Amino acid sequence: MTRMAQDHEPDDDSTDLELIARWNAGDERAATSLVARHAPALARFAVSLGQRTDVDEVVQDTFVRAFGSLHSFRADSSLRTWLFTIERRLILDRRRAARRRRDDASVDDADAATEFDALDEIVAEEAESRVRKAVDQLSRLQKEVFLLRVNEGLSYKEIAEIVGSTEGAARVHYHNAMRAVKESLYV
Amino acid sequence: MFDCADVEMRELLPELAAGTLDDATRARVQRHVATCAECASELETLHLVRSAYAVAPTVNVQRIVAALPQPAPLAKHARVGHGVTRWIDWRVAAALTMISVGGLSLALVHRQSGEPAPRDSVAAVPTVDSQRVQPAERAVAGVSPSGAHDTTRPANPPGRVTAAARPKAQLVFAGGMEDMDDASIKALLGALDELDHAPVAPSEEPDPTPVLPVIGTSQP
Repeated sequence: MTRMAQDHEPDDDSTDLELIARWNAGDERAATSLVARHAPALARFAVSLGQRTDVDEVVQDTFVRAFGSLHSFRADSSLRTWLFTIERRLILDRRRAARRRRDDASVDDADAATEFDALDEIVAEEAESRVRKAVDQLSRLQKEVFLLRVNEGLSYKEIAEIVGSTEGAARVHYHNAMRAVKESLYV
Repeated sequence: MFDCADVEMRELLPELAAGTLDDATRARVQRHVATCAECASELETLHLVRSAYAVAPTVNVQRIVAALPQPAPLAKHARVGHGVTRWIDWRVAAALTMISVGGLSLALVHRQSGEPAPRDSVAAVPTVDSQRVQPAERAVAGVSPSGAHDTTRPANPPGRVTAAARPKAQLVFAGGMEDMDDASIKALLGALDELDHAPVAPSEEPDPTPVLPVIGTSQP
């Protein structure tokens, strides 16, 4: 089974590794290709993690941090998986910082149901709104695993790498999440 | 609400929805979904989730690129490569120096100290008088190479064969390595290897060499 690439820039068929090599050699256009290729997925992932505002800023910070340590990127995982991992840490760090500032548990599993209010303005269809509610009722980890699997088509191995879990645990989280979503939608 | 029993097909549904399957696998999963109500329902749910989260804020690619750190200049890589080369060159030079100094020192020590080389190694050195370095058993017993008793050579008393009692090897190292032909160098290296393995016993300590019998002496 071969997995196909997603969100590739139409005019650049170079692989991520080739683009990284070109950027390391001083070709700044390679950076444009890499950002254009992965930014949409990072924005989706940020939203799926409950990032309601400053998504653009989060995506930018992710790329800045990634390009600042591109020499440490290991080719044994995909660049997108690595970017997701960086973005996830950034979002969690921002939440912790915000929580410390407000001195309350602002974003947690318990109040996840409030996260989709702003997004509801964007997604008007009632079915999609119900799906959001169903997904947002999942635990944070279940939601991350579920959306990485469904939206990005990542393997359990890649997901485990991003969320810092095991492949088996990621599989269990996904199936539990799927069951919960179906029960929420159809029961 | 039931789940499909075909685990493989069910596991491929998210990738079917995400469009990440190759053509053959996609066709296979689609054929299964066409005949499986559970998988069809799950695939519909997956499409709903994807469409619900498909809308994401647009990102300004150029702004992000402008904020990125500058790529490492070529010169930096070149300097790194040059540094590595210099480091390797330094190691090679150091190794050659060590080999040269070590080999020369070893040869000089043998030459100046008069320390006899072990019998086995001496036999392999071309510059050694083969008449004097016949098997030590014969020399120790006072037996000439021809088999006759050699009364001109003092035979050690029966017992130990010490290093001092061994025949002296004429391990001559005059001039440099460049003066020697290939065969000589090979023989010299063989001899040096043998020196490493030969037992060296101080004269006041027991020699590990086994006691040899005295053959055909006329002593009472």
